[in-house]
Amino acid sequence: MSTYNSSSRHHSTQPPASRIEKDKNVDYNTSLFRRLTWEGTVPLEIRVDPKELPANSDRGLECYFIQAPRISYLPLIVPEIRRFLMDVVFDEVAAKSLKDEEWWFESEEGTLLKWHWPLGLLYDNHTISMSLRSPSPSSNTMATPMRLILHLAAPPQDKLFLSPSIESCKQAFMNQLKEADFIRWGNTRRMTALRKVDQDGLWEGIREHSFDDFWRVASKLAPNAGPPTSASPPSSSMSRPLSNDPPSQDKDSAYSMRSVPVRMYLPDGPVIQEVAPPMLEDGTPHTLGTLFSTHLPLLFPPRPPAPPPSRINPHPQPPPAPQLAYALIQGVVSPPEAELAWLGACMAGADGWLNICVAISRE
Amino acid sequence: MAQVAGSPELTPRQGSRNLPGWTSTERPDHSEEVLKALETYKKKDPLKIVVRFKGVGNAPIMKQNMYKITAANRFQAVIQFLRKELGWQNGEPLFLYINSTFSPAPDDTVLNLYKSFATEGFLIVNYSTTPAWG
Repeated sequence: MSTYNSSSRHHSTQPPASRIEKDKNVDYNTSLFRRLTWEGTVPLEIRVDPKELPANSDRGLECYFIQAPRISYLPLIVPEIRRFLMDVVFDEVAAKSLKDEEWWFESEEGTLLKWHWPLGLLYDNHTISMSLRSPSPSSNTMATPMRLILHLAAPPQDKLFLSPSIESCKQAFMNQLKEADFIRWGNTRRMTALRKVDQDGLWEGIREHSFDDFWRVASKLAPNAGPPTSASPPSSSMSRPLSNDPPSQDKDSAYSMRSVPVRMYLPDGPVIQEVAPPMLEDGTPHTLGTLFSTHLPLLFPPRPPAPPPSRINPHPQPPPAPQLAYALIQGVVSPPEAELAWLGACMAGADGWLNICVAISRE
Repeated sequence: MAQVAGSPELTPRQGSRNLPGWTSTERPDHSEEVLKALETYKKKDPLKIVVRFKGVGNAPIMKQNMYKITAANRFQAVIQFLRKELGWQNGEPLFLYINSTFSPAPDDTVLNLYKSFATEGFLIVNYSTTPAWG
């Protein structure tokens, strides 16, 4: 938890399950995973670029640590960082010449950090870039803070795309929600049917980090994670806890959506957005493994064919597929048999998008 | 991406550093294969797609409203192109939407938007001088 925080934003440390309210429309497991996603945090270590520290700053204290919600955004944590810097680090006179709107962040490796990406995505995207470089297994680096450099002047506007204001971050968030709504249902009627006060309530839920306020409205947009309407092979449910609820036949089921809002992030690389229907043509649920073998076959190669039978080995098994890469969703290593519909309903960010970061395997 | 996926040099296990198949108890070094794969996915798709601009409300109408644009461009390039075509000065408001519904993130690519939102082979971009679908 943040140590320098006068507000009550990040206060909930109690076990997530204990506060899940009984909602008839949302089954227990869906609520649980939504709560776990909501309460996920990332450790950040923020320091001002030493070359830009104003005169007479206290250099011994210029580093600030924060455990920030994954679903939050950089503009939402700037006020807290600012308070710390103004109170502890900056000289009062020098601080007066600083303008918030000129602040911007970079990773230690020099990657620009976008204002409109959720913090969890910035963190995971950094993790997969490091998985490419670091010779050590990535599990060692998972819990270490991501180091951010705060610059106080000359923001590269053309690469940041948006102004650092909370209002423009809110606009970007609302548009991502709408885009996700369109992908899921083929129109944005669910979004536009919300009253203005409810739409604003979604963003307030994020600002105040209130799960209940956010999901009171968001549950009108998000699909139910109920099992598929058509029979699926029993093994397909192995990756998630089984729900005891009757199968949801309704039009709000994640398995009857048009498509799952999904983006795949490659290390240092492109962001790939594909049409990802929840069910395949053969009636089985669309899984992570299928998504990868369809769209990223070079990183997720198919299993090689079995060698020809011989006298010693009359029934040869095909060798296992090489493990070149794996998926990180909300910081969690996700198995290839995980179903996209379920992931989209339970592990998506607050903006409705399922962000899949592809990390490179290490021995 | 389909045209590069079949490149013969990218077939798994053909990297020169890999040991012959019969020593398969040892784990092969995949790093070269992975780097090649990532380079392939990073390559910009030369595909061009057609963007169709539609003015909304008081926005000026364009005589020519269909343009071909390289799909690998970011949506930011579409915004800048349209501002230039309309002769818009810095600071003059202009709002762009896809399918009369949402404004995409400027760093998303035209290709990604086209794959998800193309209508009859076009990417329809609405533009307005005031917020239209806020």
